[in-house]
Amino acid sequence: MPGDCHYLEGNVNAKRRVDYIKDLLVKIGLEPERVRMFYMSSAQAAQFAEAAKEMTEQIAAIGPNPLRTRISVEEQNGTDEQTSE
Amino acid sequence: MIIAEQKSLEEMKSLIGDAHKVLVVGCGTCVTVCFSGGAREAAIVSSSLRMASKLDGHPQEVTDVTVQRQCEWEYLDEIADQIKDADVVLSLGCGIGVQAIAEHFPDTWVVPGLNTSFMGLPTEQGIWAERCAACGDCILGLTGGICPIARCSKSLLNGPCGGSENGHCEINPEVDCAWQLIYDRLNKMGKTEVLLNIQPPKNWKTARDGGPRKIVRPDLRLEDEEED
Repeated sequence: MPGDCHYLEGNVNAKRRVDYIKDLLVKIGLEPERVRMFYMSSAQAAQFAEAAKEMTEQIAAIGPNPLRTRISVEEQNGTDEQTSE
Repeated sequence: MIIAEQKSLEEMKSLIGDAHKVLVVGCGTCVTVCFSGGAREAAIVSSSLRMASKLDGHPQEVTDVTVQRQCEWEYLDEIADQIKDADVVLSLGCGIGVQAIAEHFPDTWVVPGLNTSFMGLPTEQGIWAERCAACGDCILGLTGGICPIARCSKSLLNGPCGGSENGHCEINPEVDCAWQLIYDRLNKMGKTEVLLNIQPPKNWKTARDGGPRKIVRPDLRLEDEEED
């Protein structure tokens, strides 16, 4: 839970940074739902599995990363040598 | 240090236009410390522009490099080849860095990625405040080390004005009254008699009001660089 962190306020700081990344993704043109933060301790294996399942379903619903798709097409055409972001 | 803020990604995209090769240049000094234009920020901006351009359907080749100081020719020389190879350079330096690139590379189109804000310091992590207005004639010795030029909204030399209320400025209750700060500090140090010296009007010729400024130090000049 927020503030209940091995590194004291570490997860509160992490939440701010995740919010920053979500905002940046929107500006870039990607869905902010591609990044998400879950609060849990290392002893909560069941919750971790549940969160992983939830995130997988969420990402699957959004669909593939359009950058990855676009890059693959370009790579096939041999027009772009940039690596995937 | 010089404090700057990043322009929006939208404005940066507009500034670089449809250039194919874009070089984002970070600066390792002031803007690194205020988290607006250092190596980390240059990499993030570069990556963001690269991704955004691909999503827009017009992929741009965006790379980044950071020099120790954009405001000195020697450091810019180290990346001369990369600068000359770029269609446009997006500088994440302060306004001085942008102009240094423009001056040193006359054939290069350079645009700013930052808004240079002021000279100040971090008062807390993530908060920066103005402290110096570079007026060119420092009076901190008369004001207990607190600058009324930079910190009083009216730059008063003999304050406070009538708008000071409970230690705050009338323009914004979140702004400290600089003259209250000055009085409190002098009082604490037993030096309030300093305030009895009424300051005459300041000669602003040494500030921006006197036009662009320049300092020449004959003792530091090199013979072969001396002007006629």
